[in-house]
Amino acid sequence: MAIKVLAFAGSPRRGGNSETLLDWVLETMEKEVAVEIEKIAIIEANINPCRGCNLCEKLGRCVQRDGMDTIDEKIVAADLIILAAPIFCMGINAQAKVLIDRAQVFRSRKYVLKLPVVPPERKGKRIGIFLSTAGQTWNYVFDAAIPSVKCFFNVIEVREKDIYYLMVNGVDEKGAILTHPTAHQDAEQLASTVIRDLRLRLGE
Amino acid sequence: MPVRVLGISGSPHRHGNTETLLDCFLEGTKEAGASPEKVVLRELTYSPCKGCNVCHRTGECVVQDELSPLFDRILEADCLAVASPIYSMGITAELKGLIDRAQYIWAQKYIQKTRFFTSEYIQRHKGIFISTAGLSWDNVFDAAFPAVTAFFNTMGFEYYDNIIANEMDRYHGIKGHPTALAEAYKKGIQVVKAIEQLRTRSP
Repeated sequence: MAIKVLAFAGSPRRGGNSETLLDWVLETMEKEVAVEIEKIAIIEANINPCRGCNLCEKLGRCVQRDGMDTIDEKIVAADLIILAAPIFCMGINAQAKVLIDRAQVFRSRKYVLKLPVVPPERKGKRIGIFLSTAGQTWNYVFDAAIPSVKCFFNVIEVREKDIYYLMVNGVDEKGAILTHPTAHQDAEQLASTVIRDLRLRLGE
Repeated sequence: MPVRVLGISGSPHRHGNTETLLDCFLEGTKEAGASPEKVVLRELTYSPCKGCNVCHRTGECVVQDELSPLFDRILEADCLAVASPIYSMGITAELKGLIDRAQYIWAQKYIQKTRFFTSEYIQRHKGIFISTAGLSWDNVFDAAFPAVTAFFNTMGFEYYDNIIANEMDRYHGIKGHPTALAEAYKKGIQVVKAIEQLRTRSP
C-alpha cells in the first residue's frame, strides 16, 4: 500500500523559505515509489480559529463547518504528517497556530471521550515532521514553537519520539534559504530517512 | 493625567476564565484611579501578518483593517495588559495574529530606525501578561512568554509582571481558584501606583 503523506504549508508567504524547505522534502519523496503526497497551504484552506467553546469535548467534532472538515479526515488517514511554518515574533506564525488550535477536537476524542484517533493498526506507526525557518540567527529562536508542535502531534496520535525536525535559522527575505549551505541537502536526507523508517514500520 | 491602562483580551471565548481575570485586573487599576479600556480581539475583523516584509522597506503595514488603529492606542497607553488562554501550549491564534502584525513597528525600530524608545520611556510603560490554562503543569505557560516578551519589547513596554493561573480544569474555572482573582485586582492597583511614582520622580 502506498505511504500517505499529508503536508501543511503554514506560512502566509507562498513559496517562501519554510515552504521551499517543505518542497525540497516533498520532491525527494515524490521520487520514491508508492508514496502519495497531498500538500495543503493553510492560508488557502479556509480554516477558522478555534472558538474555545469546548463543545468538541461532548460532540467529538467541531461545531464549525469549514475547510477543517475534510482536513480532519485526511489527518486521520495519513501515515506521515508534515507541518512547515516560519517563526514570527518568537513563536509559530498565527495561521499555523490556527490549525494547531483546531486539533483540539482530536484532544477531546483522545483524552475526554477516550475514542481512538486513528485505527488501532496505525497507532504507533505514524510519523510527524516539523519544518521551520526563522529570520533571527539566535539558536533558541525555535524553542517556544516546539511545545505547540509536540502538542499538535500528540493529539493526532504521533508519538513524541516519532517527530523529526528540520529547522533553519538566519533566513529572512524570500529566497534566502536558496543560498543556505546545508538546508537543501538536509531536507533531501530527511525525506529519505523518514520514508525508509515508514516502510519498516508498515512492514514493507 | 490619569494612568492610561489598555487591556487586550485574546480569548475567543467571551467572559471566560482569561477575560474574567483581565476584568479583575482592570477593576484594580480603576480603584487606583486609572481609566482602563478593554479591547476584545474576537470582536475585531483583521487578517494576520502576510509575511510580505514590505514594512522592512517602508515602516508601514500594507494591511489596513480594524487592527490598525489598535496599534496607536497601544502606543498611547501607560500600561498594557495582554490576555490569552493557553491553547495547545501557546497563546491563541487571535493574540498571535495581533503580535505578528507588530512587525511594522519592529521594522520602524530596527530597520528604518524611525522609532526609538528611551530606557526611561520603557520603564514608565508597563506590560502585564494575563493567562489561564486548563492543565496543571508548571511549564504550561513557558512557550507563551517569548512571543509576549517580543511584543512588549517591540511596543516599548517593560515586561512588568505575569498574572497567570493554571489548573482551571481542576478548579472548574477561574471563580473556583483560591487566589487568582484577588491577585489580579491587587496587581491592578499596584501597577498604577508604580507608574504614578515613576512620574513624580521624572524631571
